[in-house]
This record gives sequence, C-alpha cells and structure tokens, in this order.
Amino acid sequence: MLSKLSLLFEEIFIVIALLLLILFFGLMTENFFTTGTLRAILTQLPALTVVTIGMTLVLISGGIDLSVGSVVALSAGVIGVAFTVFGLPLPVAGLLGILAGGCAGLVNGVLGSYFRLPVFIVTLGMLEAARGMAYLVTDSQTVYIGASIQALSLPISGIGVSASFLISLGLVVLAQYVLTRTVYGRYLIAIGTNEQAAKISGIRTEPYLMWVLVVSGLLAGLGGLMNAAYLAASDPNAATGLELSAIAAAVIGGTSLMGGRGSIVGAFIGVLIISVLQNGLAQMGVSEPVKRLITGLVIILAVLIDRWRSRYA
Amino acid sequence: MTARFAIEGLNKSFAAPVLKQVSLQIRPGSIHGLVGENGAGKSTLINIICGLLAADSAELTLDGKPYYPMSRAAALAEGLALASQELSLIETLTVEENILLSSLPESAFRIDRRKVRLQAQELMNLVGLKHIPPQTPLARLRLAEKQLVELAKALSMPTDRIKLLILDEPTSALTSAQADQIHRIIKQRADSGLSVIYVSHRLDDVLSVCDTVSVLRDGVIQHTAPGSSLTSDDLIREMSGEELSQHNDDEVRKIGDVRLRVERLSNADFPEPISLQCHRREIVGIAGLAGAGRSELLHAIYGLGAGHQGKVVLVEPAGDVLIDSASTAAKNGIALIAEDRKSQGIFSGKSVSLNSTVAGLSKLSGNLGAIISKREQRACKELISRLNIKSEGPRQTIDRLSGGNQQKVLIARWLQADSDVWLLDEPTRGVDVGSKLAIHNRLRELRDQGATMLIVSSELEELTALCDRILVLSNKKAVASYERGQWSKEKLLAAAFSEHKGERALAG
Repeated sequence: MLSKLSLLFEEIFIVIALLLLILFFGLMTENFFTTGTLRAILTQLPALTVVTIGMTLVLISGGIDLSVGSVVALSAGVIGVAFTVFGLPLPVAGLLGILAGGCAGLVNGVLGSYFRLPVFIVTLGMLEAARGMAYLVTDSQTVYIGASIQALSLPISGIGVSASFLISLGLVVLAQYVLTRTVYGRYLIAIGTNEQAAKISGIRTEPYLMWVLVVSGLLAGLGGLMNAAYLAASDPNAATGLELSAIAAAVIGGTSLMGGRGSIVGAFIGVLIISVLQNGLAQMGVSEPVKRLITGLVIILAVLIDRWRSRYA
Repeated sequence: MTARFAIEGLNKSFAAPVLKQVSLQIRPGSIHGLVGENGAGKSTLINIICGLLAADSAELTLDGKPYYPMSRAAALAEGLALASQELSLIETLTVEENILLSSLPESAFRIDRRKVRLQAQELMNLVGLKHIPPQTPLARLRLAEKQLVELAKALSMPTDRIKLLILDEPTSALTSAQADQIHRIIKQRADSGLSVIYVSHRLDDVLSVCDTVSVLRDGVIQHTAPGSSLTSDDLIREMSGEELSQHNDDEVRKIGDVRLRVERLSNADFPEPISLQCHRREIVGIAGLAGAGRSELLHAIYGLGAGHQGKVVLVEPAGDVLIDSASTAAKNGIALIAEDRKSQGIFSGKSVSLNSTVAGLSKLSGNLGAIISKREQRACKELISRLNIKSEGPRQTIDRLSGGNQQKVLIARWLQADSDVWLLDEPTRGVDVGSKLAIHNRLRELRDQGATMLIVSSELEELTALCDRILVLSNKKAVASYERGQWSKEKLLAAAFSEHKGERALAG
C-alpha cells in the first residue's frame, strides 16, 4: 500500500504539469476540448509510446538507443513491400516488420554487450544503417499500402480508441509491471545503477544488456507497423528524429540518462505532455520554429524540475 | 644551519586521528627516509606537504618562511617537486610532453620546440630512458618506464628553483639496476644541496640511500635516527610496535572439511601461480602491503576478470563445482564483498531493501520471476534486525546510512543468498569501532555455523584477531603462511616486505 502511494507521489508532479498544460490550451484556444484534438493526439500517440517504452528500458539499463527512428522506418518499409510487392497477408507482413526491428536490436545488443562497444556509437551507426536499408527496401519511394492496414489505427466503434492505442497502453502496463515487480526489472535497475556491483552480486550482465536492446528494436518494429497503419503507407522518411522525442518523453517522465532510474508510466505521461504541447501549439497557430523552441525549453525545464525534486524530495 | 623544511606539531583527523603531533626537520642536502606499514599515515603526510590536503593544525616552514600550500600548484610554485606512487602522468601525451608538463614556460606564447626537446632528452638520458624516443606516446610504455618518466618529470624543475623533492615509492616497479641508477642521481642532487623525502617499502633501499630515517606508526613518528645506525629488522620492529596480546580461543575449535580449493591460480595481475585450500569453519587471512595482489587474488577466485590460469573448485557433497564466472560463484554460495564499497558494493540511490535482496531474489520470487513484495519486505526487515542495521527501514536509501551500516547491508545481501564461502576485502575499512566489533562478531558466528572465509585486511590486528591461518602476499607472490600461534606481527611484516626488498627467497 505504502509503495503504491509513493509511486503516485513520484508521478504526481508530471501529472499536475500535464493537467495544467491541458487547462492552459483549453483556455487559450477555442477548439481544444473537441473530439478532433483528442483524435489527432490518439492517432499519433501509439508509435511514440511503444518506442518510448523501449527507450526508457534501455536508458534505465545505462545505455541509449539512437536507432529507433530509423528502425521504425525500416520496419514500415519491410511491411509495405512484403504486403504490396510480395503479396503476403498483412499479419505476416506486420510480423516481418517487427522482426526486422528485432534484428536491428539484436545487432545493437550483441555489439554493445558482448563486444563491449559503446552503445551510443553502435546505435548511432544503426541510425544511419537502418535508414539506408529503409530506402533500399522501398526504393526510396513511399509505398502505398491501402485502407486494410488502417484498421489498426482507426477508432474501434463503441470504444472510441484504436487498436494501436489499446496495444500501446497494454504494453505500458506490462512494461511497468516487469520493471517494478519482477526479477528482470530489478536486475536491469541494478545493472544501470552500478554495473560492477551488479556483476559482483552474481548477475550476468551481458544477456540483460543485449536483450534490452533487442526489446527496444522489437518495439521500434511495432512502432513501424503503427506508423504505417496511421499513414496507410510506408514512408522511408518517416519517424526522422523520433529517437529524440522518445528520449525527451522518458526524461520528462523522470528517467535518468545516467541509468538506474526511470518509470514507464512516467515516460508515458511524458509522451502525453509532448503530444498535448505540440497539438495545442498548433491550434494556437504558433509557427513551426516557435513550436520547436518551446518544446525544447519544456524538456530542459522538466530536467531542472526533476533535479530539484530528487534533491529535496 | 637551519632546516630546509620543518614540520612542527602536525595533526590531522578524518573520522579518527590519522597524524598526531608529527614533527620533522629536513636539512639542506639531506635524504630523509620515511617508512611505516599501510595506514600508518605516510600518504596523508605527503598529501599535506604537497598541498593536496590541509592539516588540522601544524607549523610548516620552508627555508624559514611559513609554508601553507593551498593546492598542488601552489606547492609546485614554492619549489616542491613530487614523484608519486600513483603516477601523475597523462597517458595520451608523449613522453617529453609529460616530462615538461609542469615546467613549460608559462609566459611564452610560443613554445620553443627544439629547446624543450633537448631538455626532455637530457632528463631521459639521466634516468635511463635513453632508448625511448621522446615522442613516444606514454601509453606504450611499461610500468617501470612510466615510473622513470614520473621521476624525470619531478626533476624537470630548474635546479635553483627546486627546494624539496618528495619521492613516494619511486622504485616499486624498477629492477635493482634501475633503482641503483635512480639512487645515484638522488645522491648527486643531494650533494649539490637538494633536500629529499624518500618514502619506500623497500627497506634496504631506504637504508642505503637515506642519511636519516623516520618511522611512522599509527600516525606518530616513533623513531628518527641516522640510516647508518639502523638495520631493516630495526625498522620492522619499530613499524610493528610491541607484540600484540594474542587472542586465544579458549575452546579448541575443530576446523571442518575442505570447502574451497584454489589450484595454481594465476593471471596478469599475479603471474606466479597461487594454490590454497580453505575449510569449513575456518577463517584464512591474506596479509600484504598495498599493491601486493591481495584484492586481485580474491577477484580471481570469484571468477571476475579474464585470462586466468589454474582453477577454483568448490567442494560439494554432490561433487566438485568449477568456478569460472562471478555468476557461477554467487549461485553456488560464494560471496564477495569488494574493497571499494561505493563503486563495487552498494547500489547508490537505491533502497536498503533493493540493496539487501539483490543477490537472493530467487527465494523471493514466484512464477516467471515475479517478485512477491510481501516476502521481500519481510526478508529485508528480518535482515535489518538480525544484523542490527541502523536505518529508518527497508525503504530508506542506502546512501543515508553510515559506512558501517552500509557494510552490514552488504553482509545481509549475501546472507539472503545463503552464501557459505565469504571473500571479504577490507571488511571494516572506514567503519566506526562499534560497527567493526559487531561485524567481527557476526563473522565469527558465521564461521561457527560452518562458513569458510578469506579475509584481506591491511590491519594486522584484524587478521590476528579473526583468522586461523594467515597467508602473506608480497609483490604478487605467496611468500609465507602461518597458523594461529606461529605468527607474530614482526614475522608477518617481515614476510610482507620480503619480496619488496627484492632478495629474500620464497619462504613457507
């Protein structure tokens, strides 16, 4: 009971920030509280959410995964080509896309963990390589998939939200559970806090450091599927810079870039904050450069508040 | 003639007093030896003289003028050169850049490359590095060569500006021929008026080079005498102090069967194979000077690091288990509590609960690795009360606990994992006296319950109080082994110093 209360307390700051933000846009714009806004947020949300889950886990383990944006595009490309060119059924194509992401993650993981290369550099390389592969797979063209894939991102009648959204929400809950309530999550936190102490405590660190990148790759692959569903097409230019949004969301949610500390629920609220901010600013008619400026400032502010909180709370 | 450098009534405390009323007089042209066992306070004294630490109270004078350096740079500006045991070199720079780093002319905008190079070459020739091109990156040099570079760097200051040269273990990695060369240089410099403080574990070196020798024990200067009037046995006696009363167990304990076998284990850190057997209900101590390879041995037994020769075997009723990695070691009941609590022990910023249960989570989890919170909380509370850990409860962050209580949490971690073979590296370093006794008693209890222990400690008192047997390492070799009753502090110290003197044959 006590632990649940304190979990709430940890997240309460950013929940309040989110509510204030919604209130602010509600007062400043006429149409913010409309189903249109909600739908815009809900359709864009799932891909960023699943990618952020993977990113947060990697950050907690003490690493970073810069390749996720490119892997999203690669996965989407694989899905589009498998479906349109090879005529595979959509579920099979989707699975191939997710596996493509997993493969990219496996390469990251093996090099970063067993070969002891810096994960920052390895995933930076993968950022380029996966984007290149996305162009090769799609022949640098947007592949039109069609309405069949959109079923994933359109609201299910009676519920009002899409299957993508439900899946991403389910994964948030699952990942939070694994992180806080299982041995795997505990080991991940231990490794991210102090790898040497974790080793001495008998934890085999290499498999964990590898698998966390594989999971991040698989989730980026799923993000690619969601991205393709939302666009009804595979765009090799999709999700450029998505890794930075995911890192920002994780950090806003209280995840430490030094490893060892973070929360999936917090990161999800971070995703909500970023989405609300961008949609709200768009509705206020703020220009793109100013939007980016404000988003950047909000990220820095979030880190400042987090620093203050961890010192005095 | 007045002293070149004088210390009067120097006191320094950290948690406990480290230096007490230390006074030293160093004449111009004198080579003053300073010896003492680990923890006697030598490093602290050197750090104060070099401006890295401030004394609590002291009167320091250099050439009759008050001398209170606020930083290393200030000490350097006053004419104080240091060649330190922990080399002050920068791996990525070349040899010549390293040598001249602290003496490059600051006023000149342009460095006269040719002149600088000439000067560096001269110094390198002096210390016996003629064969190495000055532009070699430092990282390519071997340890002994780096030590010579460190010395050349200390000598790079112009002769008229350098007033006091401090050499902290300048020859620890050198062959005796190289050491002789260095000693010749130091003597020459001293003859032309340079004052030197010479700190070393090689007692024969100290006696042959120094005209005066001071012995430091427990932060007090015990003895200062001309080097010619002393023998290395005198020094060992002075360093160790009076014989400690032997702790005799009244009841004769029965040591159990063999539990751990170390067979001809060696690696890059200690190339000579070490063999060792430890029994149930036995505590084996490992003594030796800093750098003798004690921690490296424990880490190798635990399966950390790579490139080991030989093997470590855990004797189980069901058959022997080969220990080849840290996770096999932990899984089969071996516990390691490493020397550096902060970087290798605790999970900083995390709760007492996480810290105490991380090695024994399998007992607290159900299907699919789900941790059962209730069980975890209960286990943690039990450990807290069993080890009398002073904390606000399982949820408190470990950083808020005192050093002694953090150490108890680490012991708790391995109790939770049901370990029965304990490798303990300086288990009571930086721990207050109360916790220290509590930890000792806990270790004795574990031993009586059948545990096997290997304890590394720099405090001989700790080893003689706890151990059934003490193995002495000297300069990465196992040189002696004493049973309870056979040892004396003098014998242990003599063995610990033996290989550093570079002449005594393997004993025991």
